[in-house]
Parts: sequence; structure tokens; C-alpha cells
Amino acid sequence: MKQQKKFNSEQQQEHVSEQQLTHNTARDFASVEELLRYDASQTQTPAAIAQRLQKSSADLPRPARSWWQRLFQR
Amino acid sequence: MNEPLADRECPDPPQAAECPQPPQIDWHPSEFADLYAEHSRAIFYLALRFLSDPQKAEDATHDVFLKAFRKMDQFRGEASWRTWLYRIAINHCRNLQQSWNERHMFSNADEAVWENAVAQSDSPFRLLETKELGERIQKALDALPDEYRLLLLLIADEQLSYEEVGTLTEQSADAVRGKLHRARKAFAILFKKTE
Repeated sequence: MKQQKKFNSEQQQEHVSEQQLTHNTARDFASVEELLRYDASQTQTPAAIAQRLQKSSADLPRPARSWWQRLFQR
Repeated sequence: MNEPLADRECPDPPQAAECPQPPQIDWHPSEFADLYAEHSRAIFYLALRFLSDPQKAEDATHDVFLKAFRKMDQFRGEASWRTWLYRIAINHCRNLQQSWNERHMFSNADEAVWENAVAQSDSPFRLLETKELGERIQKALDALPDEYRLLLLLIADEQLSYEEVGTLTEQSADAVRGKLHRARKAFAILFKKTE
């Protein structure tokens, strides 16, 4: 009897966590922009791009600053 | 408007007194790295959703930043770095698309399709499973005309104003507002179909 009670309790817990999962993954977006912003925030830039860039730019001469950058020296 | 030193007409060969040439100061690699860190996600996201292919988006982002690295001396500060990078990215992605002869499902003449369609573009998007979100968004964007897709992607970037989006897409801010209305509506219809 005790075992049956425990089983029910486990089932209940499972059910609750399923509900929580559904609740956690449900999201409302008020607009297309909000949806796309969220999507963008979830998108990771592949690390390979930075590595490739480092290699590709290594052989290039350093770009000179333009006149206004020289003026204001950011 | 002040004319940049570099654009002033100089005698050839330039004479120092008439046309002062400031000493060349190179960009430090860490400054370019900062630029990359700040804007790479936005550029990659635009390329990803515009080209609809992660590998092509990776290549495009690499090429855009390499192009930016080479042309940094041409950046005059008339626009923000973000806008400048977006301009390079848009041109690059459009060129890629043209060379691949990708199909266009709707031309501008088909805008009426969306105008007459029945959909509530203002209704919220409710998602029960966010893990498939990217796939659904991509499907909806793929079915949009290029112009609408680009407008939605740019306007979603909070760093850009309507005016800046207008400049990037070569139209007035009012035209952007008008087209956005139809773009949102079209997206809402297509997104619903992905359920």
C-alpha cells in the first residue's frame, strides 16, 4: 500500500515537472520584431569565423585610420 | 558640410603645405576585435536568416568583416559602425543571391497578395516549443519577398532607426513604415502555416 502511494507520488511529480517544462517553454511574443529579437539572441556566432578572420587578416596591411578618426582618436 | 581632408583636390604630386597629409596611424588589431565582438552577432544573424544557410552565413560574415577590415580607412563616421557593416553585409548577401540565381516567390507586384490576405498581424505569437523556433522563423522568412525579409530583419535590430533602415534599403522612412505593415502581416500568415 505504501509502495502504491509512493508510486502515485512519483507519477504526480513527473506530471508536475512536465507541466513546468511546458510552462517554461511557452512564450508569447507581441510582435514579429520581438520574435526575431529573441531568435537573434538565441543565435550563436560560430567561433570559426573569428579564427578564420584572424588568419585572413594576418597577411593584410593594417588599415589606416580615416581623417576623422585621426582627429578624434577614439 | 566640411569636406574630408582625403576628398579635397590635391595637386599631383601633393604639396605638403597645400594638402597636409596626417601621418598614417594604423588600427590596432584589438580595436578591430572590439568591433567584431560588438557587431558580429547582428551581421551573422542577418546573413543567416537572409541566406537561409548556416554555412553560407558563416562564409558571408567572414567576408563582410574582412572587407570591413580592408576598408576601415574609408569609414567616415557619417553613419554608425553598425549601419556601415550592415551596408557591406546587405550588398554582399545580395550579390551572393544573384550569383546563385535563387528563386523569388513574390515580386513587388505581388504585394497585394499580403494586403488582401486575412490575418491579424497584431496578434501575439504564442510558442509552446521554442526549440523549433529558428526553423519556423526561417521557413516563414524564406517564403517572403526579399524586400520584406530584409526590412523585418533590420527593423528588429533595436540599434537601427526607421531612417537608418530607410537609408540601408534606399527608401524613405515613411516608405519603410508602409512596407513594414505589409511585411508583418505577410510574416504572420506564413508563420502560422509553419505550425
